[in-house]
Amino acid sequence: MAECVKVCTENFGKGAQDIEVYKKLGGYANISERLFNMSQFELIDYVQRSNLRGRGGAGFPTGMKWSFVPRGTGKPVYIVVNADEGEGGTFKDHFLMLEDPHRLIEGLIIAAWALGSRAAYIYCRGEFLPCIESLNKALNQAYAAGYLGENICGTKFCFDIFVHRGAGAYICGEETALINSLEGQKGQPRLKPPFPAVSGAWKSPTCVNNVETIMALPWILQHDPSEYAKMGTPRAGGTKVFCISGDVKNPGVYEAPLGTPMMTMINEYAGGVVGGKLKAVLPGGSSCAPLTAEEAAVATMDYECLASMKTMFGSGAMIVINDTHNMVDLLNVLGNFYSHESCGQCTPCREGTGLLHRILNLIVDGKGHDGDVELMQSLTGGFGGVTICPLSVSLGGPVASYSTKFRADFDEYIAKNPDHAKPRVQETYRPGIFW
Amino acid sequence: MREHIQGAVHFVANNNLKFDRPAEPIPALPDPAETFGHVHKAQPQPSPKEVLDKLSTPEIKERCADLLSRYPEGQGALLEVLWLVQGVFGWVPTEGIRWAANVCGCAPAHAMGVATFYTMYNHAPKGKFMLQFCRNISCAIKGAQPLIKYVENKLGIKSGETTADGMFTILQVECLGSCGNGPMMLVNDDFATDVVDGELKMKRGTTLTEASIDRIIDWCKAHANNVPKHDVLGGTVKGHCGHPGAPGATAKPQVADYAPPSPVLAVKAEADETGATLTWKGAPEFTKIVVEKKNGSEWVAVGEPGVKDKAFVDAAGKVGDEYRMIATSGERVAKPSNVAVTTQKPVPEEKAV
Repeated sequence: MAECVKVCTENFGKGAQDIEVYKKLGGYANISERLFNMSQFELIDYVQRSNLRGRGGAGFPTGMKWSFVPRGTGKPVYIVVNADEGEGGTFKDHFLMLEDPHRLIEGLIIAAWALGSRAAYIYCRGEFLPCIESLNKALNQAYAAGYLGENICGTKFCFDIFVHRGAGAYICGEETALINSLEGQKGQPRLKPPFPAVSGAWKSPTCVNNVETIMALPWILQHDPSEYAKMGTPRAGGTKVFCISGDVKNPGVYEAPLGTPMMTMINEYAGGVVGGKLKAVLPGGSSCAPLTAEEAAVATMDYECLASMKTMFGSGAMIVINDTHNMVDLLNVLGNFYSHESCGQCTPCREGTGLLHRILNLIVDGKGHDGDVELMQSLTGGFGGVTICPLSVSLGGPVASYSTKFRADFDEYIAKNPDHAKPRVQETYRPGIFW
Repeated sequence: MREHIQGAVHFVANNNLKFDRPAEPIPALPDPAETFGHVHKAQPQPSPKEVLDKLSTPEIKERCADLLSRYPEGQGALLEVLWLVQGVFGWVPTEGIRWAANVCGCAPAHAMGVATFYTMYNHAPKGKFMLQFCRNISCAIKGAQPLIKYVENKLGIKSGETTADGMFTILQVECLGSCGNGPMMLVNDDFATDVVDGELKMKRGTTLTEASIDRIIDWCKAHANNVPKHDVLGGTVKGHCGHPGAPGATAKPQVADYAPPSPVLAVKAEADETGATLTWKGAPEFTKIVVEKKNGSEWVAVGEPGVKDKAFVDAAGKVGDEYRMIATSGERVAKPSNVAVTTQKPVPEEKAV
């Protein structure tokens, strides 16, 4: 395991929640003449050269996202930090905010300078109350030290940060749903366009960024952008905070350069697979397609390689699964999850995830029939591109890929039904069920 | 209404219309909402006066004023105000939702819709200790379900239920964002895998086990009379100026010229037989650009390309000439760009036919 530069997790375990300690570790060094002499355009160009891509899941280049924010419209520009970390297997933001809240604040000041923003909202999910406490404590210290508020460090620049506590909805991790939730509405995604960069929160230009994206900014500004770009792959610069969970010896948060081989992450960082042989890896959280052990052996953790393997990098949350698990059980868990979290706006998602969940439940209950897998696959075919947000695809994708890659697991379960060869009796309506 | 159509529904459900009907009626599977304890049953409500008395304290008024000053529209604070209601009662009574709507200036029906959309607002009183177990994929891999069964047996209740003494409620929830410690639980608002030195702790590399759950439950029983209480919004922040224009906010909108004007970036000059060609990156707010050429020790303006232009040609330019560009944004003049020394334009390689 080569020593790598730590960008976001540098201050872990050093007590950086306190502003004095954070400053001693080199924090708030960016909030200086150098930043205040930079124009917005220069700063955005700087971030673009660093090749930083959004760390929330979609991987959109951050500098480009910022450059879409229109200027001089007379409306305020909002920065919204997406700390609604709900994807199964992702837990980096939790520890980033808990251990190093001041870095997030420093990053936000830099982002606000680049975008001309007056107010930023950190949308933190409701379960993360310890993180909110840590952030509020840090905000109090930053206000007292004069890094926030009116006329920061004697410039004309004014900036405020507010923490907004969500209340438990996975879908609020989608940026337009998050904006709706911030406005005090139900967290239901909005139709795009207009994109949030043009018309987001309160119909003003809004930039939604992940916690880790913002936390990379202080390092990028302190060093040269080319130094950051050099660490990753040609199309995505820098390091990434990986979350490794599941059947590994030392699950946890590890920072490594983009493009690190997957097996290096599992064997060297996380201490190897325990409890059996490696069966599958979910490389980017619960909603991505799994990689089999053979595929995992050649995969590298970056956007391009995983996209070429028909899965996705997502938030870098690796879930390692050993061969004692039946994939249908895990898919059933996901079926429960996504059908429960569907916001109910679009019919294909509301009905489709419920249908998949019910079929999976039947299979796991030993009531599966031949043809159930084909039925599910045909259902997932109707998900792509017909819903406002990709939640339906987040279940449809795994269903399609689990059932092709691990078909034997499904057959094993279906064989438990003595009548599996008989056709399923047509169900027209079930009393007491919502669909 | 429901009873009225029930007969017809059963008739259809049991496939009486079909030739290949099964011998047995099709049993209704349990509703997922019931299985995981998120079902909203009719709940006796406290009287409106009782609710309003508890909510109209000076502290809550101050908190609400602080929250309302943060958002351009009062409705933005709705989630937070509902949290305050839940902080007072432990759940959100209907009258509390109406009060929150009133505070935020939105329709009570809208507030009700919001309060029932999000799963963390309780619509019925819960036990003193809410044990929320993650049932998502990472925890399921590490054996969350057997642990949940263990707790259910130990406390003698099912998920979603509260013990008779009002001490514990078990809930199964979605990912708690601590998959590295899976299986994982929340005790009220604290992440916990074990009890260390008389406190709930989530230490790196530890997970819930049956033994640690026993310790956590014993800890809860020992703290029955002094339940550790967190502020529902994680404490207050002093010194913020609020959102410009919001009631009670002192903030003023960001001034347009808070930052220096943008200079021209990445100026490059390349010479060929037509002269020197300059290319650059420009900001959208430019209103005028001037190209200057070094003549001895002085800079002489040689041209003024349009702000939307991509290139500028100086016919007299040759290799070795130095150029710089100065942009104007409105009334402000930016600092000069980097100095570009003209280089020979590389001959385009001819494609093989």
